[in-house]
Amino acid sequence: MHSFNKNVLVWLEESASNYPDRTVYEDENEKITFAELENEAKRIGTAVIKAELPDSPIAVMMGRSVHTIAAFLGVVYSGRAYAPIEAKDPLSRREKILANLENPAVITDEETCGELGNGSVNLKAGELLKSEIDEGLLERVRNEMTENDPLYIIYTSGSSGNPKGVITSHRSLICYINSYRDVMDINESDVLASQSQLDYIAAIRDIYLPLLTGAKTFLLPKEYFMQPDVLFESMNRHGVTAAGWSSSAVTVLTKLGAFKDCGLQGFRKLCFSGSVMPGKVLALWQENLPECKFVNQYGPTEATASCTYYEVDHKVTEDEVLPVGRAYDNYRVFLLTEDGKPAADGEMGEICVSGPCVALGYYNDKERTEAAFMQNPLNNAYREIIYKTGDIGRFREDGLLEFHGRSDRQIKHMGHRVELDEIEAAAMEIEGVSECAALYDHEKENIWLLYTGDIASREISLKLREMIPLFMVPRKLKQLEELAKLPNGKTDIKRLEKDTFGGKKK
Amino acid sequence: MRDRIIEILSGVRADVDFEKETELVSGNILESFDIVDIVAELDDEFDIEIGPKELKAENFDSVEAIEALVERLMGDE
Repeated sequence: MHSFNKNVLVWLEESASNYPDRTVYEDENEKITFAELENEAKRIGTAVIKAELPDSPIAVMMGRSVHTIAAFLGVVYSGRAYAPIEAKDPLSRREKILANLENPAVITDEETCGELGNGSVNLKAGELLKSEIDEGLLERVRNEMTENDPLYIIYTSGSSGNPKGVITSHRSLICYINSYRDVMDINESDVLASQSQLDYIAAIRDIYLPLLTGAKTFLLPKEYFMQPDVLFESMNRHGVTAAGWSSSAVTVLTKLGAFKDCGLQGFRKLCFSGSVMPGKVLALWQENLPECKFVNQYGPTEATASCTYYEVDHKVTEDEVLPVGRAYDNYRVFLLTEDGKPAADGEMGEICVSGPCVALGYYNDKERTEAAFMQNPLNNAYREIIYKTGDIGRFREDGLLEFHGRSDRQIKHMGHRVELDEIEAAAMEIEGVSECAALYDHEKENIWLLYTGDIASREISLKLREMIPLFMVPRKLKQLEELAKLPNGKTDIKRLEKDTFGGKKK
Repeated sequence: MRDRIIEILSGVRADVDFEKETELVSGNILESFDIVDIVAELDDEFDIEIGPKELKAENFDSVEAIEALVERLMGDE
């Protein structure tokens, strides 16, 4: 079914030749066709090659625009990996990412070029686009590329306080997008609605599905996700048929009264992921969209956003917790016990994944790469790198995988992965904070910060906003005389959780 | 009422100076999950129901706008 393809640019070029004048991406202000996209990407690619930069990744820090995706693909044409950066993230966070990338060249647009700190080469997208396309040069670069070359580097929360750059190859991306396309049945007649920020892993579907299938993606403005009627009206107007959204975005819309007085027409396929979908929320969507396909996806950035999927085949009940399902095509998903043995039937174990979807590791971070990406302990015969997710799972009798939380202090908040340790590390850098503990109230989806020291909570909140992304900033802060301790001197997290929100269950 | 609204808003977002801000939504100060909490608490506190039709930037951009919205909805009943 799939012809062999080793580079995502082949998808772009084939679709540009099949549907040159069709819109591939649309944002609030602009549209771009497949042919225009290829042209822009090739101009940028040519200009980047001619700039004679080091052969290292290039960061792209641009707004939520169709041209941002053209810049991503332009970097790919130059034979390099792109690293998307959100200009609205705090400067200190962006600096950590740029430092990990060893001060790369950064492509900016008119709005973001002023946001760039010092030390990096600033490539203005507008200037790069003035370059003439040099097909011979692009071909020479392409001929040297392999399917194992890095395509992008996406940053995710790291417990030490430094974000981790997950490197994904062309091969991994192609593996996932092919499998996802088949599961969701996406074709050239689909219009996708993108919720994810472009620097975030979930955006890869919205970017690459159109290139593979000829479908179109509409980049929804972020603020629509707090205005369900405005969102649905816009989706109806654009003829949206399919979407892959975070479970928390779907939940927020539902809490804000989605479907109360405005429905969705022609919407047929929804994949949700990022955290456990509440049964109550899904039940309401099923009721309002009886013909829609609903798919629960599970998987980390390190396995190209995915491991398993479950297509919901029945009407869910309010308290139901969905399984995360079965492995995507071309993926191997299995469970290991703490001592590295295979989990017995029905036994809990750490969810591990191998196959082409496994990322190349964390950029410039050998130590953390080796801790998470390792030789399959069950295979002594040949090299087989697996990724250990840190998630706990169990296979049901019918072979479907269930998700049972984390073995560490990582949480999923508003669709994003957050290390509570990273929040604590940031808070400890603030003068006046003596001790602190970050907690997560799963029921109310609130991050808490309990602290001791001589500083007002508002001050901490403001400072944290300059240090970590908004979704990581605790929304509840509480000053204490002291933090409860375990006999070994460590903070008694369980006790703090119980004292902070454990007593008042709804 | 104004004081109670500010109390609710500050409980949700301790870092924002609600007395001053006039672009809470259109200036991207409040996030979607802030709006969820604010709506739930306003509904509870004033026994109103803020429906999706009311979820527009102009109804949430300032304390004054929120106050006007609450008063209007309380009057509707």
